[in-house]
Order: sequence, then C-alpha cells, then structure tokens
Amino acid sequence: MSKRTALQIATYGIVCLAILLVPSFMDDAFILNKYARYLVLGILAMALSLSWGYAGILNLGQAASFGLGSYCMAMALKLRTVPVHTGKSGLPDFMVWNNVETLPWFWEPFYSLTFAIFAGVAVPVAFAMLLGSFIFRGRVTGVYVAIITLAALVVVNLLIIDQQRYSGGFNGITDLAQLELFGLTFDAYSSSSYYLIAISLTVSLFFALAVTKSKAGLILQAIRDHEERVRYFGYDVARFKTFAFAVSAGIAGFAGMLYTIVMEFASPTFLDVPLSLSVVIWCAVGGRQSLLGAALGAIIVTGMQGALSESEIFLESWTLIMGFAFVMIVLFLPKGLAGAVESLVDRILPKDRTAPGKSKAAADQCGAKNSAGGP
Amino acid sequence: MAANPHDHLVLSDVSVTFNGFHAVEGLNFSVGQGELRCIIGPNGAGKTTALDMICGRIKPTSGQITFEGKVLNNLEEHEIARAGIGRKFQVPSVFSELTVRDNLEVSYSKSSGVLRNALIFGRGADREGLEKLAEFVGLEDYLDTPAGHLSHGHTQWLEISLLLAQDPELILMDEPTAGMTVHETGQTVELFNRLKGKHTLIVVEHDMGFVKEIGEVISVMHQGKMLAEGMVSEIEQNPEVRSVYLGSSGIARA
Repeated sequence: MSKRTALQIATYGIVCLAILLVPSFMDDAFILNKYARYLVLGILAMALSLSWGYAGILNLGQAASFGLGSYCMAMALKLRTVPVHTGKSGLPDFMVWNNVETLPWFWEPFYSLTFAIFAGVAVPVAFAMLLGSFIFRGRVTGVYVAIITLAALVVVNLLIIDQQRYSGGFNGITDLAQLELFGLTFDAYSSSSYYLIAISLTVSLFFALAVTKSKAGLILQAIRDHEERVRYFGYDVARFKTFAFAVSAGIAGFAGMLYTIVMEFASPTFLDVPLSLSVVIWCAVGGRQSLLGAALGAIIVTGMQGALSESEIFLESWTLIMGFAFVMIVLFLPKGLAGAVESLVDRILPKDRTAPGKSKAAADQCGAKNSAGGP
Repeated sequence: MAANPHDHLVLSDVSVTFNGFHAVEGLNFSVGQGELRCIIGPNGAGKTTALDMICGRIKPTSGQITFEGKVLNNLEEHEIARAGIGRKFQVPSVFSELTVRDNLEVSYSKSSGVLRNALIFGRGADREGLEKLAEFVGLEDYLDTPAGHLSHGHTQWLEISLLLAQDPELILMDEPTAGMTVHETGQTVELFNRLKGKHTLIVVEHDMGFVKEIGEVISVMHQGKMLAEGMVSEIEQNPEVRSVYLGSSGIARA
C-alpha cells in the first residue's frame, strides 16, 4: 500500500470517527436530527462523486435513485403503522382517501422489512443498469448523458406524482412507523438514528473507497481520461461505466432509505430536479474527485444553508450568499475544497510515494497533480 | 487469395467507403505468424484506415478480416483486443491524468471482466514485471509521473510499453518513430527485431531509413489498394512504386 493510500484511509477514518463522536457532546435531539439529515445528503453526494469524479459520468438524475430508495423504505414503514383511517385490512390512509379497495400487488412484499431494505438498493441498481446499458452501449457521452439522466429523473418524478392512488402523489407517503431493526427502535429524533446514519456513512464511504482503489476503479479513471483507448486493451467500456453508474445508484438508494428514516416521510421532492442539481453543486464544492470531499461538501453546504436560512439577518439574502460562495469555489478551486487540501498535502509530503530510492527526476516532474484522488 | 495455414492475419478483398469516398478498395493482405511487416505508402493511401479496420475502429463496408481463423468484421473493439490484437496510435494515446505506473497497470489486461477487476486490490500485483518493463523502455524514473507530463519521445515509449504489458499476439504500430530522435529510432528497430518471432508486427511507417533497417518484407499501399509487396531492394526498383512516390528517385529520399 502506498503512503498516500494509507494517509487517505487514516483521514477517512478520523473524519468518520469525529462524526460518530458528535452525540457524546450534543444531546439536543432536534440538532442531532438536523445533522443526521446533512450526513445522509453527504452519502448522496459521495455516490455522485463515484460516477462523476471517477468515471466521468455526470449523472443529473442522481435524485431518482435517492427517491426510489426513500419510497421503498416509506412503503415498508407505512405498512407498519397502526392504521388510523383505514378501512379493511389495514390499507394505508391515502389509499382509502383515493378509494383504493385492496392493497396493490407491488405493495404486498413491503410487509417484509428485509425485502424493503433489499429493494431500496436493488430497485435503483436495476433502474441504473437498464438506463446505463442503453446509454453506454449506445456510446452516448458528455453532455448528452447529463440530459438523458435528467430526463429520466423527470419521468420518474412525474410518474410518482401522477400515481397518487398508489404513491400518495404530491403529498408523498407520510405518517410512518419508526424503524425497528435488531430489537432497536430508530426514532428520528434520537441518537440511535444519528448513529445508524453515521455508521452507514462510514460503511458506504469505505465501500466506495474500496471500489476506487480496486483495479476496476483504476480502469474507470482511465475511461474518464481516454475512453476510446481503454477499449483497445480489451475492456468492455460500456460494462465498466454501467457498473460505476449502478454502484453509485445503489449507494444513493441506500441514502434515500436513511433519509426517509430521519425525515419520517417520503415525498416527490426527494427526487425532484432542484435536489438533483444541488447534489452536483455539493460535489463541485467539496471536490468531485474525492469521495470524502464530496460528502463533506454536501455537509458543509447544506449545513451553511440551514444556518443561514434560520438566522434572522440572512433570512432574505442567504441564497445570494450561497450562490456567491459557489461561484468563488468554481472559479478559484476547480477541484473543490478537497483539491485545495490535496495540493497542500502534496507540498508538505515528499513525493516518493511508492518507489523509495528512485531518482529525483520523477519526483521533480510529479508536480502537484494526483489524479488518483486524495483525501 | 488462397488461405495459407501460416497466415496469422488475412484481409481479403476488404473495402471501406466514407460517404462515397473509397478509402480502401479491394485490399488483399496477409501476414504470417511471427512476421514483422512494414506498410508504406504516400499520404492518403489508406494505411491507417487499414489498421483501423483490423482493430475494429472502422467497420469494413465489404470483404473479410480474419485473425487466427476468426472473422473480426462484426466484433467490437474490446473483443478484437481480447482476441489478441494490440494497437499503437499515430498520435500517442496514453492516459495523461494517470501516472506511468497506473498506465501500465491498466494496460496489463489479462483479465478484463468488471467484477473480477473490482476484486483486484493492491495495484501492482505484478509490480516487478511492470517496473522491469518501465526500465526496459527507459521510464523507470517516471513511474509516479502523470503521463501528461512526459515529453513526446517518452510518451511514444510509454505507449509502446503499454503494448508490451498488454502482450497481444498481433501488434499494430502506426508510425511508432514519429517525433523520435535518430538514436531512439535505432532503439525502436532493435526492439522490433526482438519482438518479431514471438509477436506478429505490422508497422506503418513513413521513415524509409527505419523501414530499410528493419529489412523485412514491405507492403506498399496506394489509393486504397495494395500496390506492391517485396523486400526493400525489390520495392526500390519497382517502377510503379517509384512513380507513385513523386518522381523516379522519390522513394529513396522519402
């Protein structure tokens, strides 16, 4: 393992540990819930960095995976509520209002929480694999990928809003039961939910890091760099891109499930265009070529948004301030905050990462650039 | 063209048309196992197009390309590469954002599946082999340098070493010595002579000096067709070839 990889793992570990320790200093349930929300969005941004930063796939429809995951969890939790308004056989309340007589077939399996958790990842993955194989087999690249994914997002969003009888429409699925897992109850306003999400963030960060550190991760970076060349080494580029796209969607779907747990509802706004575009901004601010950077980018931006929009002084100007900060970062730190930290580390750290005793020439030429993506 | 069992690669009656323009027309060409073959010809003769068709970048409009008895026409680029054909491009094509080491790692593509590669960690499983290879082409000091920071000559060598790491049976070289110094060109000749026998090589080249030094069978292309084939001396005497190369003394100075 190179020195840089070790440093990277250490940094990831320290940040995750710090996140895990927050509840020991903070026992305000409301604030913990707010932080947990930011962390979930951090996972979402990290998932985008995997496809955008590493494989060069700008997925503007990232929120589709997030929303699908979120609805899967909401359906399961809805079926676990003690029905208040229901008619026969414990039908979810909004179905009763919409004159639905029996539970639709695709709701049935969600009585099983295990199935729901599986579906929360599998549905976005299946959707991404289908969409991705069309896009990448057809060798669609660049801005067209962004347009297609954005369009796909809009379609899914409209479909969910339109099928009010089965999805709750604009209102989404509300009034949910609390998640009970392994004998624990995850109240959204408690440290247990915070821990659940902090651990999930840690696990998914290290999972994604492992993907980028594998040879497949390296090949993805080669594809980002020079797609056509990779083909002549015998790699099926479309498959590799679909893989990155699907893994990213799976993590986003996982984040969506967690979001339902902290928000206590699922809504079409979880898969709307503004959220999806925000993810891109978070990634850009944090540094899209760094998983941790993207996650922290989301946490910092949403955290600042929260703080500014809640303070009386900035009540009217907070969007302006956020916009200004974003423009500044894009202008002066094209690799985001993580890129800035990285070049700082490069300056401090001697550059002989893996080959001790090799001549100085390599080190001198190495410069500040490291495309493998640092801390 | 009669199929010879020793033929490694056979192009029979291959044509390609771009919007009505016949870039290559009725090309017949075969290379034996372990042979080192040079293709020369004036600009626009269809040399690069021929290589593009072999490696799948361009699909032939008609005709058939077979490699080790396998028809390549309808295969995708990566399938052709897996069949054992590697390509060096005219403009050096490397992964400029990746380090030399990572470039070599990517090109070492014995297993090419997604999931299998997702389970390979600790890059440089064959680290010694890669370092030896880098040393062989004189890049041992640049292993951790991003390929985009290399000089043109070094980039050429890097791409050649990528092919060596890929280790295909048939290597297609498009102007490998472009931008190289005389000394480097000499090294390339040496390298190619070492590779032949083990690998089959097809080299497209403008540099007659280089072609002469290799001293093997030369194929001359002109206007999308094969004009002549033979040893250097025969080719130099061939009146058709001489006229194609602008004037009677053309080829000697080309």
